Amino acid sequence: MYPYLLFIGITTLMIGWIWGVLYAPEDSQQGNSYRIIFLHVPASIFAQTIYYFMSICALMHIVWRVKLAAYLIKSAAPIGAMITFIALFSGSIWGIPTWGTWWQWDARITSTLILFIMYLGILTLHGSFSNLEKADRLMSILVIVGVVNLPIIKKSVDWWSTLHQPASISTSGSSIDPSMLIPLLISIIGLGFTLISLGILSSRLYILKREKNKKWVLEHV
Amino acid sequence: MAFNTFDEIINMKGHGIYVWLVYSISILIIVVSFTITRMRIKNICKRININNASG
Repeated sequence: MYPYLLFIGITTLMIGWIWGVLYAPEDSQQGNSYRIIFLHVPASIFAQTIYYFMSICALMHIVWRVKLAAYLIKSAAPIGAMITFIALFSGSIWGIPTWGTWWQWDARITSTLILFIMYLGILTLHGSFSNLEKADRLMSILVIVGVVNLPIIKKSVDWWSTLHQPASISTSGSSIDPSMLIPLLISIIGLGFTLISLGILSSRLYILKREKNKKWVLEHV
Repeated sequence: MAFNTFDEIINMKGHGIYVWLVYSISILIIVVSFTITRMRIKNICKRININNASG
């Protein structure tokens, strides 16, 4: 399963990025700097999606005591941190030619920074307990608490009209021209598959780590 | 293609530095994540096998 997903992910991502960076037309206002969108928007979407995934897992862990759900949180959090970092980093660099600054305490940017800190906090909390069952439980609770931040990120551009622009794509339509929108959607799909395959790899690693003394693991490796 | 020459692709009317910096660093981060995870899986499998053989 994993190699196929990775292949689909990388191929789709490359099509989206090459199309977007080399073939899509120049933006009339931002010039070529807008080409960062094909990385920034997919990264930001998955920065939040991974947290949604983790919160569902956290609920499953707290309510039904599903052990695997906690393993999945622990495996997804570093990927979430990585992709949130990429979203912040790409936004910062994009801000230099577009806004004239690489950082601004704008609502969207600040709430995304909080998301990044949440991911790191979740990992740190889990790492600070020697009792792993207790660590799993407290980590799940922290994930649920952090869910509050997600609607704030989503609505930040509407509630506070600061520097960051409102959403370009929504269920009710898009403000982007199709010549730019199509490669953007392809990039989103491509990054999605790439991250799912990284997630499979990461959870394989963590399950092996936690269950290394179990009989089925010994038979598996 | 939105560009005519290779220099135009690199330069992007002055914005090339930002665009290429963002893509190269991000691709590097993603590739490193895959490599580290794969290496760690390999290591842990090796260790489990050693323990299994000696135990």
